[in-house]
Parts: sequence; C-alpha cells; structure tokens
Amino acid sequence: MMSVSIALFAAFGAPASATAAIALDVSSSKTLSGTAGDFVTVNGTIANTGPTALSDVTAYLSLVDTTAHMPVDLEDWSVEKGLYIGTIGAGAKLPLDWKIHFVKSGDYALSILAIVKGENKPIGSALTYFHVAQKKNLNPGAVLPVALGEPILIVMFFLLLKYRRDKKSA
Amino acid sequence: MNKLIWKKDITAEIYTWKSALWLLLTAIIYSVTCYLLLTNKELSLLDQTEMLWLLAKIIIGASLLVAIIDASSILTVEFEQETMEDLLISPLSVKDLIIGKFLTVMTVWALMYAVAVPYVLVSSAGSGLGPAFLAYIALYGTLMVGGFTLFVLGLSFLYRSFKNTLTTSLVFYLAVGIPALFSATLKANPFGSIISVANPLDAVFSSLDNILVDYHTALTANATYLASVAGFVVVAVVFLAVSVKVFDRHGIVKE
Repeated sequence: MMSVSIALFAAFGAPASATAAIALDVSSSKTLSGTAGDFVTVNGTIANTGPTALSDVTAYLSLVDTTAHMPVDLEDWSVEKGLYIGTIGAGAKLPLDWKIHFVKSGDYALSILAIVKGENKPIGSALTYFHVAQKKNLNPGAVLPVALGEPILIVMFFLLLKYRRDKKSA
Repeated sequence: MNKLIWKKDITAEIYTWKSALWLLLTAIIYSVTCYLLLTNKELSLLDQTEMLWLLAKIIIGASLLVAIIDASSILTVEFEQETMEDLLISPLSVKDLIIGKFLTVMTVWALMYAVAVPYVLVSSAGSGLGPAFLAYIALYGTLMVGGFTLFVLGLSFLYRSFKNTLTTSLVFYLAVGIPALFSATLKANPFGSIISVANPLDAVFSSLDNILVDYHTALTANATYLASVAGFVVVAVVFLAVSVKVFDRHGIVKE
C-alpha cells in the first residue's frame, strides 16, 4: 500500500513528457478548505505546447489522503472523475473544471493528470491541498428531538403505567 | 368472545415493563436509523427519496419480524401450557380464538406503526412525500403483517409447538426477504422475474421504490404490486382454513 502512495506522489511531481508537450496548470487556489459536505471547484487548463496536434488525450483526477497516506476512491467526491479530451490542436489551450464534494474530514492532495496515446507515463499538474473540517451538526434535519424524545416518552409512559398500577394495588 | 381473547393477550404484551421492552427497542432502532440517514443526507451522499425508501424497508422489515415472533408464540403457548382444551370447552369457537389472536398481533403492528410515524414525518420533511409514505406503509404493513400472522397461526395449528412454528416462520420470512433484497440485475433473468412477481415482500419493496423514488403515488400506478400482496393474503387465509380443518380432524389430543 505504501509503495502505491509513493508511486502516486511520484506521478504528481512527474515532469511533463518532452515528446507529449502537454502542460497542465491549476488556476484555482493551491490550497482549499471547507467543511465536510461543502462543494468546491478546481479549475485548471490543459495546453498543447507542441507544434503538432495530439490525439486520445484523457485528463483525470488523483486524490491522496495525506494523513492516512492512502489514495482516495473518488466515488462521492466527484461526479466526473475523468474527462476524455480527444484531440487537442497545436498550441491549443482548454479549460478543465471539476466540482469536488468534500465528503470526509482530513487533509488531502489533489492533482490533475493526463495521459496521451503513445506516451509511457502520465503528465501531472501541481498539487492542490485540501483541508476538510469535520461537520459538527448534532441535529441534522431537526431529527434529534424525535430520535431522543420518542424512546424517552415510551419509557415515561410505562413508568406512569407502573406508578398507576402500584398506586391502585396499594 | 374474541374481544376477551384480544384483551387478555394484548394486556400480557404490554402490561409489564419487560414485556413491552420490544416497543422501546423498536423506537431506538428507528432513532439510530433516522439519525444515520439524515446525517448522510446532509452530506448529500444520500438522496432524500432513497433515504425514505430505506426507512420504509426497515419499518416493514422490523414490524414483520416482531409480528412473526409474536404470532408464533401467541397460539402455541395455549398448546404448550395445556390451556387450549380449557379454551375450547368454554363458550368460545376456534374462529373467535383465531380472531382474538389475530387482532392482538395486528395491535402490536399498530403500536409499531404509531412509533414510526414521527420518524417518517421528520425524515420526509420538505419532500412532499410524507402523506403518501404514511398511507402506503399503513396499507402494505397491514396487509403483510396480516398475511404473515394468518400463515403463522396456520402453522401453529399444525405444529402446536413454539419452537417448530417459529423456526419454520423465520425460514419462510428469510425465503421471501432475501430475494427481495437482490439487485435489479439479479432479477433481470426469467427465473428472477418469476420469483420477483410471486414474492409479496419484493412487491412491497418495488412498490415503495415506485412511490418514494419515482413519485408514482397513485393506487393505480401500484395496482400490480398490490395484487401480488393481496394474493399472498388470500393464500394465507386458505392455508389457515386448511390448518384449522386438519386440527378439527385430529382433535385437541393429537394421536
């Protein structure tokens, strides 16, 4: 598992392939924070800096929990985990936007990666760091009065019945 | 006469603190479930309609379990404590006895439903599905608990033993419950489709999905599911009638 995380971090910092000539940039803030349940948008660009068009380009996200040192399954975090770009013309620059849902509290590092057909390694952007604070709402949907109150009411009802019976028999 | 049987049995069910503990435990199960579901909904991980569907399945599932256990003991106890003969030589018909016992289990279901109502209201707030949720839970719960109770009472006349009745009833409950929890993919093949149509619990869960997730709240939109559940109740009535005939033929002292 540790080697997987190390490999992913290595991928984040990997320099762009000289032959692919793809540049990935994150234009939104490099550090984002919020509370579990919040949504943030990560903006970036993918540019073909070379003289020829590149085909079969796919951009995707990679997220690592920097506290647990484990990659994170993007299920629930982002609806669109990857974007198939297809062909990107010479000198063209395309925007990349990902809506990220903060699911769990903790510290995370996110990178945009791209793979190009024929290349043997991915191209990575700079890292964006997230700090997700825990959501502290003890009464979601005003459920607490019911969730606590009803069992208490039932106990009180039976105590009252017992009291009345004891009083009657005395 | 059946009123006397009902009064005696329901008093035994809730008279003491210990005998009514199941009601408190039911409320605690609903509390924990609702709290977990609403916490997830707040994180937007769970759609509200999906949450309501899960809650509906838990209410129906828990009520059926309690009703089955209750119905398994309510008649067999008369055989095991040898009070059945006394009951039958009193001015009480087998029909009165069955109606009295049946009404007791239905009262237990009514209490469980009453406990569930506040949880349904709080979890469905803002969805506009609260009235439909309550009405369909009442309808399906009554039909399913009624059907299972009739079936278990029929088994009680055949077995006259709590242990055997309970074991068979629970296995039957599992037999209808497990396929009902299969994913749509598993029900897609012809064999799965047949089981799905014939299984009353599957019909209830599918109908609740239709109502709470797809907003098809009209009775006509759920007619096929209702027909499946009603068919189960009819089969349970016939099974009970046959069991009573067998009991009449063998008499109180089984040879």
